[in-house]
Amino acid sequence: MKLSVKWIVTVVLTSFSIYMVFALNPEGQLRILFNVLTFAGIYGLAAIGLNVHFGLTGLLNFGHASFMGVGAYVTLLLIPHAAGREGQITETGLPFLLALVIGILSASLFGLLLGLPAIRLRGDYLAIVTIAAAEIFRLLVRDLESVTGGVYGIINFSDSLQKYRPNFIETFVSKYDLNAGQIWVGFLSWVSIFFVLLLLKRLNSSPWGRALRAVREDEDAVRALGKNAVWLKLQSFMLGAGIAGLAGVFLAFNYGSLQTTLFVPLLTFYVWAIMILGGVGSLSGPVFGSVIFWVIISETDRLAALIFENANGQQLAGVRFVLVGLLIMILMIFRPSGLLGKKEELLLNVK
Amino acid sequence: MLDQLGNGLLLGIIISVASVALSLLYGVTRIVNFAHGEVIALGAIVTLFFSAPVDSKVLFLDRFSPLGVSFSTSVIIAILFCGLFGALLELFLFRPLRKAEVGNIAVLVVTIGLSIFIRHFYLLFATGKVQDFPLGLERRQTYLFFDMTPRNFKVLIAGLVVMIIIGLFLTFTRMGKAMRAVRDSSELASVSGINSDNIILFTWISSSMLAGLAGIFQAIINDVRYNMGFLILLLIFAGTVLGGIGTSFGAMVGGLLIGIFVQVSVALPFMEGHTEAKNAVALAIMILILLFRPQGIFGEKERIS
Repeated sequence: MKLSVKWIVTVVLTSFSIYMVFALNPEGQLRILFNVLTFAGIYGLAAIGLNVHFGLTGLLNFGHASFMGVGAYVTLLLIPHAAGREGQITETGLPFLLALVIGILSASLFGLLLGLPAIRLRGDYLAIVTIAAAEIFRLLVRDLESVTGGVYGIINFSDSLQKYRPNFIETFVSKYDLNAGQIWVGFLSWVSIFFVLLLLKRLNSSPWGRALRAVREDEDAVRALGKNAVWLKLQSFMLGAGIAGLAGVFLAFNYGSLQTTLFVPLLTFYVWAIMILGGVGSLSGPVFGSVIFWVIISETDRLAALIFENANGQQLAGVRFVLVGLLIMILMIFRPSGLLGKKEELLLNVK
Repeated sequence: MLDQLGNGLLLGIIISVASVALSLLYGVTRIVNFAHGEVIALGAIVTLFFSAPVDSKVLFLDRFSPLGVSFSTSVIIAILFCGLFGALLELFLFRPLRKAEVGNIAVLVVTIGLSIFIRHFYLLFATGKVQDFPLGLERRQTYLFFDMTPRNFKVLIAGLVVMIIIGLFLTFTRMGKAMRAVRDSSELASVSGINSDNIILFTWISSSMLAGLAGIFQAIINDVRYNMGFLILLLIFAGTVLGGIGTSFGAMVGGLLIGIFVQVSVALPFMEGHTEAKNAVALAIMILILLFRPQGIFGEKERIS
């Protein structure tokens, strides 16, 4: 990793965003900062998964929310929880780690299931199929109330994770008056980012990683060399989906309850914005992108307050998403490689 | 099931008009336009802004009051407004992108950003409240064997008439032929002296006007909401894909069929108590079509992998 202008700009921008949290908020700065960092960790993890699809392999996946959803729902349904209109309680369940592994594997498997037929499709068709599949997933989850709790969602599952909360978090939290549960989830998501990046770095420089990038650059050449391009794409789809599944689990634990409305297409677009901002094809780019993105998001409330007196939740959301939309457009037009991506590695055109 | 068939025809005509618009645009410009739904909503919102009674403060914050123009005038203004909007999109966004040779994947992502941007702009200024056109209630009547209100029946007829006009236009007028020529091969078209920039501009205008009309239909049949276009966007994709991407006549039939599938599926035995999931049926059909007959019902074979 050589020190280039890109890296300096990225680090400066990220530090500046964190500084803005302190500069703009007269009180409760640490609480806001850790809230931002927790979301940044979770979404950054999801964006790393998406980057395996689009950045490394060139697969146009617009159904990322469903991978996150599968991971979250499978994991939560396997541990003790309460679900549905009556809050029906399931007291027995698997240990958290086992449930988590099954959840991640299910997300991967869902990636395989969706990928098997769809992966042969051209870029823009794959985009439509993945977004449609994600919507089917969401509609089915909402509909199958007896299993998933439907619109009423799943609650009371946090203990399975929070009972492993170590003591140093408690002491840290009591010093600064923070939310211990959230800090623990945020901590875990950043630890996961570290290990996932380590894994991807190894994979990326392995023969497998090179073959994957070759698929993105010229699929026919890969085939001519006797590699199975379709199987490579599927493996990439499964890997990215698994990472998304893990991020989905953290997202659920961060909220403390799980609702189907969480997995609307906008979630996917959030992750896309983060990936583009951080840099398509750059392994650690989305992490920086995520921090900057969430600082912007959390401070838009201030902007909304400037435009509207006593802005309500709807107007806050409106200002937020107007900015997200603008960000996606401007980045894609003027700097599609984002902060850390390489322009020559971008797949922006399919014939 | 017959009740549902009537509802299906109504949903079908909305999707059908919107699908033709999307398909025309895709055929001529090769843009998969995720912001199509927002043009649809624009038609309905502008109509509401012009037609709602002046003293009703339901809309547009408290700063602007509605104009209280007659409903039919409002519809015409709204459709023209949508055409203007489409022209602006082409002139100030998509033409510069095309001249800069921005890749089609990048343009697709730009339309997604545009969609999010416009939709939440509506949320800011048109509030998230569900609103109705100022049209009053009507009693359902029986037409042939469908039950629907006279107003909805008129929408159905108007939709069919619009389809016929589009069909005649594409087949017989000089502009329509030029559009089909650019769709089939923009290079050959420009060799034969067709100015493809003008054709594309005209396509954006007509596609946006049709989308606005679809939105007005949708608002008459259902209601006005800021995200009304995005809610049916995937169904419109489904209609377009089913009929054959880039084919106008296919999109008409595909859109109608998707609308009917969605509503009739509610009456199927295994769907009992699962009406929420009815859109999933249409989306599943779309995925199956893309996998097994990607050229749709009427499209010609094209490389899609």
